[in-house]
Parts: sequence; structure tokens; C-alpha cells
Amino acid sequence: MRPFVYERAEEARSAVAAVADRPDAMYLGGGTNLVDLMRLGVAEPARLVDVSRLPYDTVGVRPDGALRIGAAVRNSDLAAHPAVRRAHPLLAQALLAGASGQVRNMATVGGNLLQRTRCAYFQDITKPCNKRNPGSGCPAREGDHRNLAIIGHSEACVATHPSDMAVALAALDAVVHLEGRDGPRTLPLTELYRLPGDDPRRDTVLDPADLITEVTVPALSFGGRSHYRKVRDRASFAFAVVSVAAALDVAGGVVRDCRIAFGAIAPVPWRARRAEEALRGAPATEDAFAAAARAELGQARPLRDNAFKVPLARNLLVRTLTELVVA
Amino acid sequence: MTGIDTRAAEGARSAQGIGQSAPRPDGVLKVTGEFAYSSDLWLDDMVWGATLRSPHPSALIRSIDVGPALAMPGVLAVLTHEDVPGDPFYGLERRHQPVLAVDRVRYQGEPVALVAADHPERARRAAAAIVVDYEVTEAVTDARRAAFDPACPRVHEEGNVLRHQPVRTGSVFEAPVVVSGEYEVGMQDQAFLGPESGLAVPAEDGGVDLYIATQWLHVDRDQIAPCLGLPAEKVRLTLAGVGGAFGAREDLSMQVHACMLALRTGRPVKIVYGREESFFGHVHRHPARMRYEHGATRDGRLVYVKAEILLDGGAYCSSSPAVVGNAASLGVGPYEVGNVAVDAYGVYTNNPPCGAMRGFGAVQACFAYESQMDLLAEACGLSPVEIRRRNAVSQGSHLITGQLIDAPAPLADMLTELESFPLPATTGTGSDLRDLPGGVSQTTRGEGVRRGVGYGVGIKNICFSEGFDDYSTARVRVEATPDGPHALVHTAAAEVGQGLVTVQAQIARTELAELGVEEVTLVPADTSVGSAGSSSASRQSYMTGGAVKTACEAVRERFRELAAGHPGLSPAELVERFGPLEETREYRHRPTRPMDPLTGQGDSHTQLALCVHRAVVDVDVELGLVKVVELAAVQDVGRVLNLLALEGQIHGGSAQGLGLALMEEVQVVDGRVRNPSFTDYLIPTILDMPPMRMSILENADPAAPYGLRGAGEPPTLSSTPAIAAAVRAATGRPLPRVPIRPQDIALP
Repeated sequence: MRPFVYERAEEARSAVAAVADRPDAMYLGGGTNLVDLMRLGVAEPARLVDVSRLPYDTVGVRPDGALRIGAAVRNSDLAAHPAVRRAHPLLAQALLAGASGQVRNMATVGGNLLQRTRCAYFQDITKPCNKRNPGSGCPAREGDHRNLAIIGHSEACVATHPSDMAVALAALDAVVHLEGRDGPRTLPLTELYRLPGDDPRRDTVLDPADLITEVTVPALSFGGRSHYRKVRDRASFAFAVVSVAAALDVAGGVVRDCRIAFGAIAPVPWRARRAEEALRGAPATEDAFAAAARAELGQARPLRDNAFKVPLARNLLVRTLTELVVA
Repeated sequence: MTGIDTRAAEGARSAQGIGQSAPRPDGVLKVTGEFAYSSDLWLDDMVWGATLRSPHPSALIRSIDVGPALAMPGVLAVLTHEDVPGDPFYGLERRHQPVLAVDRVRYQGEPVALVAADHPERARRAAAAIVVDYEVTEAVTDARRAAFDPACPRVHEEGNVLRHQPVRTGSVFEAPVVVSGEYEVGMQDQAFLGPESGLAVPAEDGGVDLYIATQWLHVDRDQIAPCLGLPAEKVRLTLAGVGGAFGAREDLSMQVHACMLALRTGRPVKIVYGREESFFGHVHRHPARMRYEHGATRDGRLVYVKAEILLDGGAYCSSSPAVVGNAASLGVGPYEVGNVAVDAYGVYTNNPPCGAMRGFGAVQACFAYESQMDLLAEACGLSPVEIRRRNAVSQGSHLITGQLIDAPAPLADMLTELESFPLPATTGTGSDLRDLPGGVSQTTRGEGVRRGVGYGVGIKNICFSEGFDDYSTARVRVEATPDGPHALVHTAAAEVGQGLVTVQAQIARTELAELGVEEVTLVPADTSVGSAGSSSASRQSYMTGGAVKTACEAVRERFRELAAGHPGLSPAELVERFGPLEETREYRHRPTRPMDPLTGQGDSHTQLALCVHRAVVDVDVELGLVKVVELAAVQDVGRVLNLLALEGQIHGGSAQGLGLALMEEVQVVDGRVRNPSFTDYLIPTILDMPPMRMSILENADPAAPYGLRGAGEPPTLSSTPAIAAAVRAATGRPLPRVPIRPQDIALP
């Protein structure tokens, strides 16, 4: 591991200033991903600015019903929060489906959003990887890609985003609050992430000095009727093979509204707007759910060994929506 | 749930003697985190070793420049192959594995250079600063090509087939019913929790003392000493706390390295691998590709079996020849069949070296032959239990090697009992999520779930086979203390978590009860007593148990002579006046013979052990998820020494078999390991492992101490095919490969 300087930020402005002028400085949250990457040599910051003690460690509810989630809130605490469990069960479920109890006790909301892909080639510094080393190539296209993307990927990169929490937040129209070089600003979570295109270096649109301070989740009248479901290779402590976050508003057998996002099928938490569009006003039936899945997954371009994710994602979505009708 | 009564030991009874669930002396320390593992070793003046490893599966080494590392602060030594004081090669069966790579590397992770520094991080950085000029060469990664393509490059000059063991008997290879299949078993890791670690301390006599977590102190010493150019007596090993083994500590890892650095620097040197390095620091289970053809009569009686078993041994020999021997001799399972043509091959490639892992060659074959038995059952219209019962061996049967099964082997009865266990209730809507496929990931509420039931049978050889001079040594000393006679038991046997320390003390209490011995102390295992052999092949209760028993008997014999001559004295008085009484004994099992190189015939095995499993699974066929609802097992252990420890062995072995069936695989692409971490190499958690129902039989083996049968490995064999069969029953899919993953099951 490359030697680094560690400093603890006292407040947001000074943290931003500490990173803004140093291209080799990075923020440190819970460290559950970044420290691993430093051990692997994938990340080599010369300076770590620890932002986990900044005063962004509370969860609150605004008068308009929106959830305010501090960026330094630990995943365990967020999952356990009564307001989250009541109004947005899919978010609590997504958090609890991730990692292990120990990891969730350390991991922060901000860090969770910014974790890097689990693509084996990205993590192996002896291999080419366009994300790590632009222009070096993508061995995953022809190599081991069983758990990589089927949608939204590019010639240059087929990695997936590993977060569970971000999938639920993408479905919920969450907004990310930032402190940056030019002061505070906000960004819809779905616009935080960027598709790889021919430049897969950056997973997000953020400037390195941008500090996530808070995530807000607007009230959703039917948020209580929501689920996060995850397929993985063992019953706990494994990354998703495919996951779905969905919320459904049904009246008189017709879908009035819905929110849907997929995890582990794309380079970003994949908001399924085509599926949502197909569903609004449609009958709340398995056939309609399957048609909605097709509307979304029709864009899928699976690789040699991950075509199974297309029917898997479809089955998982149909299953999840069907249950929400019954619930 | 266990269906046996624990019987009291013969002769004098002891409250904590054999047959009792005596608590393990290291148990509380381990669960409270106070037990000192080898990674906890510490001396105030010690320095730290680090290893530079090859990034390439196959490359020539043009040059190594250690200068940049030597120039770094805190660095005390940087060593390459040129610094190996003695024999530059070591190995369990063939001494051809370089202590440090000489002019080429044959697998990713092969050690190339060593560093000692005053801080572990400095040592690692210095290792990274060593400049190695590699010329990358073509890596041989396909075992079939390595074995059979004459144009394939040779990994070693001897050729790529390290052993070919045929088994031939009979001449009829036609039958009314024929089933065939090709099967694959992925590369499994032992996944022990305590990484490779040890502490080497230079001694005043020019020798070295090594504190090390290993499975066999003496075979380590006998490999280390020649590499160091030292006589064996100057290399003294003491067992440090072992955090699991499962075969992965049979080969050397950092032993020679730590000693070289200690001798060079004159300082104690500690080496501890991290988790990722550990994946490169030990051998794995051989991945296997197998072709089988079974012929039978219409009523399901086996006529013949043909099999080709290809085991990828990776870059160095390790214990591959013995693994091949097991795969061949046990290649058709515990079934009576008169006509056999089995060919088992061990092959060199540039993949990670493979060697010992719980089950040792019998595991891979078991998955294939049991899959075949299910195909045969279907073809003959019989139940999976009935096809096995009809062909089951029993006492008086012969193995395909011609060896007579001369001890009880009640396989048919075991199957009948297994089948009679009640089936677990059906899970479904409204069930606890943890009981459903996907568990707490909430992928199902019971919809899309289909149940399947499968059976598996396995046979494992216990103790070393094929003519190996297999023995263990025990020194037992009874001395007087104010609290009465006290026994000291000294062996070199490695406690690797299996509970051997408990069993040794139980045996001593039982055998020395008439001397009034209740307190037994286990002397730390080291090389100052004779070899105990390896803690592998399920052999230590048999071998070191036998040695302790024999040494105790010798002490007891002397005691009886003393008692006869002094009838007025109590046992305590006799020990006080004439003690200490000390005897050392070696114990050998009955001799075995090599397999004939052309026909495989010969009495190659010491003891045979059977285990049968029934697996009940729920499969979410739309999402490809499996929940093992219940595992049931019947195992014949000959004699229960410690029920609690035995149940732990059966649980653990079954769980390791479950892992191989459903998730565990070291993924190797182009000779490179893709998942060297416990985040990416998945082992079952408590949520994946179901409750077990088991029945333990005690049909004594008259040749073994107390009639016992080694118990650690057999459950690892049969749980894998039972689970695979259950998933096939639920899905209707052929599933010729383990581990089975969601993409193998999910229906479109």
C-alpha cells in the first residue's frame, strides 16, 4: 500500500479545501471499500481526509415528509430508522441485503454511493482495465463477465455498480446534496452516476472535491408498498447477481403509479423508466408486469456468459410487483 | 438429533474417558478470542518477513535486482534462490518445488524473493521494490490438453502427466442398460480462517526453532532441514495455534522462508500471510473433469463401469499422486461391480498447485459416480435408494482393486435407515424468510419454489494407503502429585481444530484409570518426540489415538507388575514410590500395498469408511436459488470416542460438501485466480447451512483401536452429490457440474 497522510476533517468547507487543491487526495468515509482498494493498489491516494466524523450523522423527516439522511449515517443506523422502515421499506430492505452486520456498522451513506465496481479486472492491477487505466482495454468483454452488465455498458467497460442502497434510492427519486468548490448544490441521484461510454474512468459526474453531505428522499404516498429483492450466490454477505427495487400504487386493479430500479445489471443503479411508463395505467397483472419488464430489458445487450440475467431480471421484477399487488 | 446411546468404555470407567462428550480444553479460549494462534506469535526483538510472488502463471526470469529493496530503510535482508543454503527444492512426494523460483515461474503467486524488515509494511514495500525481469511464456491451463496433446508445452521436463493410475478388472463391457455422462468439479479452497503464519528463531547452535501452524511437524522438518543445509536435529519445530487446516497445511508455505531469513539476519522472523496471499500460499482441491459410463442389467445390477478421471494438479506435484490413487481405487464408489476400466490422471498445468483437501481425490469421483447412479436408477425405473441398495458393498465384498472389505460395511442398512427418516415439512407462503431460497434477501414468499430430495453415498479410505509406512508415536508419563497420579501425554500430532487433544486425554484417562489418573496434561506438540504422522486422512484418532493407547498400556503393564509385588500399596502410593512411569511407543496400522501400475490391483487401503446423505432442497426455479432445507446423514464410525466432537465433524464435513455443491469455487481464468478474498470466494454461512438429522452407527472395525473408524472426511464426500441430486430432482436439469450457480438453474 502506498503511504498516505491521514487527516480528520472538522467541517465541510475545510474538507473540500483540503481535497480541492490536491489531485491525489480523497475523502474517507467508513473505509469499507476504499481501504480494500488501497490494499489492492487500485486506489493510491497520498492523502485521506476522513469525513466520517462530520456532523452529517442524523436522519430526520422534513415537514413535507421528505427524509433527510446525513451522508455520514452508518448503513446499520439508516436501515433501523423507524421513519425509513415505515415510509420506505424498500430502502431498509436494500440496506439489510448488503454486506454483513459488521460492514454495515462501518459503511456510510456517502461512501456506499461512491463504492467502486467489483469487476475482477478492475481489482487486479496486473490486468488492463479502461476504468483504472484508460485505453488499456477491457479483458472482461471476452473474459470472466458472468456477473457484469447487460445494459448501459459500452465497448470500453462492462462493469456493474455494486450498491444495493443506491438502487432503492434511484427508485425513490433521491436527491444528493453536495458541498463543492463553488459551494453547495444538489443533484438527482440518477444524474449522479454516468454511463461509461468511451470514458469509463469516472463512475459519477462529481468533481473529486465534491463532498456528499446529505441525501433527501421525497415523500412517496405509496412508499409503504415497496420492496427490494435481491438474487445472490449465497443467503447473506454476497453482492447481487440481480436486484430490484420497486414501489407500486394500485387502485381498482390498475397501476396508478410505480417506481422501479434494477441493481447489478448496469454500470449504474438502473432506473427502469421504460418499464414504469409501460405500467402506468396498465392492469396490475402478471402479463402486464412481464410486458413492462420486456419494455425495459429489450435494450439489454448481454455478453457471452451473462444472458441469464435477462430472464432473471424479468422474473424478479414480475415476482416483486405481483407480491406488491397482493400486499 | 442423534440416534445413538453413548456406551461406556470397556474396562475401568472414567468420567471423562472415551465415549464421553468431554469438553475440549481449547474450546473456551477459542470462542472467547483468547486462544493464541500462530498469527499471534510475538517476540520483542523479532522482525518481519514478506514474500515477493510471481504475477504470471508462466514466465522465464531474466534477472532479479534486489538493490532497490536493500536500499530501503529498515530492511535487513533480501533473499533470492541464490541464498538458499541447501537443497533449493522441496516437496511432499517429489522434491521439485523451488524454495524460491530459480529461472522460471510456473504459477501465479509462486514465491520469487524474500525480505526481512523491522516492520511488516516496510517488508512488503521492499518486496514490491524488487525488480524482476520476466519473459512471459505460454501458460498451460487446460488439463485435458496438458495430458493428451503431444504438442502442449511441458510444465516439467518429466512430462505433464504426473501419474496415470488404471484400474482393470473383468472383461464384460456390454450391458442391456447403459448410462453415461461427463462431470466437472470446480477448484475448492480449504478456506481456513487462520492464515499461514509462523515464527522462526535462530538458535545458538546454528540451528533454528520454528513455531508453526502445520498438519505434520516431522514432514515439515524433513523438508526444511535439507533446504537449510542443516541436520534434522538442528531444526526444531513446535506446533503453534492452528486456525483450521483441511489439507491446506500439508505442504510447506513460509516455513523455509522464515528460517532462511532468521538464519541470515540472526533475528527472530515472523511471517503472516494476509487473506489474499493465503489463497496463493496453499494448495487447493483438484478441479476434475470426468467421463463415466455405467452398464447394468434391467433390474439395476451393475455390470461394468468405465471412467476417465482427470485431475488438474497445477504447477507442482504436492500430494497429487496419492490423490490420483484415491480417485482410481475408489472411483466407482462402494458398489459391487465385476468389470471395471478406470483411468485416473493427475496433470501438471500452470494453474494454482492442487493437493490435499478433506476427501482427497475421493470427493471428485463421488460426485460423478453418484450422479451416474441416479441416471441408472431412472433408466431402470428404480428409486435412488433402491439402485444403491441393490449394488451396495458389504463385509465380504471386494473393492475394484481386489481388496477384501473385511470389516463391517452395512451400506444397505444405512440407506434403509436414511430413507426412513421423516421428511421435513413443506415450506411455502407464510414461512420464515430464512427458510426460503434467497433467505433474508426476500426473493420469494414461496412462489416458484419446488422441492427436491436427493441421496448420496461415499466411501473414503482412512489412514495413509499404498504401502506408506504410516505410524504415530506417543510418550506417556505418570507421575505423583499432591492431588494423586498425573499423566503427561506427549505426541507430535497436530491439533488443527478437530479435537484431537480432547480425545488423547480421554484415551489416557480410560487406559490409566486403574492407576488413579484423572488429570491428564497434553505436552505441546513438537519434534522432540517421534513423528505422529499427518493430521489428515481422518487418521489421528486411529493412529495417534492408537499410539497413546499403546503407550498407556505399556505404563499400565509396569504398574501392574509393581502392584503385584507390593500388594499393600494404593495406586497413588505405588506411583509416588516407583514413579515416574514413562513409556514411549510407536503405533502402526496393518501394512498396505501399492496399486499395480497397470491393473490397480492390490490391498492398498488400511480402513474404509462409509457415509450416506439425504438432502432436501427448495429451489426457486425462476430465480435459480437453492435453499438446503435439511441434510440427513448416517455414518458408521465403528466406535464413538467423543459424541460432541464427532457431531461437529459431521456438521462441518457436510457444510464443506454443501459449499462445493452450491457456491465454493476458486475461479481461475488463464491461470490467474479471480477471487482471492472471502468477499468473492463464497463459503456457506449459518444461513446457508440447514439443521442436520443424523444417525451414528458403531459397527466396530476389529483391526482398529477401540474398533473406531476415522470420521472427518466421509461426510464431505456424500453431501455434495446428495445436494446436486436434490436440485436435479427439483428442476429436472442435468447439472453435470458443481458448484451449481443461479445461472445453471434459472428457467427462462
